[in-house]
Amino acid sequence: MQSELILLAHPSFGVLAILAALWVFTEAINNSDTSRGRLRTMSLVSAGLMWLSYLVGGYWYVVYYAADKALINAGPWPFAHGFFMEVKEHIFFSLLLLSTYLPIAVFSLTSGKLALKPVVLWVSAWIVVLGLAMEGAGAVISMGAKMALLATQSMGTTP
Amino acid sequence: MNDTGIDNYNRAFALSFAISSLLSALLVVLKEQNADTLLAWMKAATGHHWITHGILVVAVFVLLGWLLAQTTLGTRLTGSGLSAVISGSLVVSGLIIAGYFI
Repeated sequence: MQSELILLAHPSFGVLAILAALWVFTEAINNSDTSRGRLRTMSLVSAGLMWLSYLVGGYWYVVYYAADKALINAGPWPFAHGFFMEVKEHIFFSLLLLSTYLPIAVFSLTSGKLALKPVVLWVSAWIVVLGLAMEGAGAVISMGAKMALLATQSMGTTP
Repeated sequence: MNDTGIDNYNRAFALSFAISSLLSALLVVLKEQNADTLLAWMKAATGHHWITHGILVVAVFVLLGWLLAQTTLGTRLTGSGLSAVISGSLVVSGLIIAGYFI
């Protein structure tokens, strides 16, 4: 049960971080005096949620994933681990650093350094794109495990 | 702040991100190619190679950002220039990682 809750928390924190980054993107287009507070808050929320997603997902990966990995590799979708998980677990580091940098850029932008506007727009947009790619990769990995379980079941080897 | 309107720490940490992201992608290839040495050391260091990888990447990002802030590297980069550096690094590091595992 604990494993399943952790596994659900990981993409949930991730999708909330994506939504917060999308909020930053839209507020940064206007970057008015009234949006300053929201920009700062949402950049911190996005970074905080991405770190939570990383820590929770990382804990699950290190503690629980080995069994799923063996199952996926023995099933009909081994690429779910061999490509999607390997790429996801490593590109996530870039996403984490990008999310960490976002508040740095946003706080300077809202302090009057308007030259940073394209940086904030690009960084927040990349967080949305990469975050969605991580969610998609997670879905493929989950499907890889499901396909392996279905294949085992069809052979009548599950209880 | 220099004449491009980008403050020192933003320039430094944007560049640090670009370099750290590329180094992380190269570390993926290096550790996978050197399972008996580098990967084994990364596993032994923290109990899991991925934990070591994460600690190294974050440490390099913070340290390099602080170091670059003491230099004048990239002080002529505008906001669009920094965005291009960040995006270029992301695309190249993504291609290195995806290309390696494909």
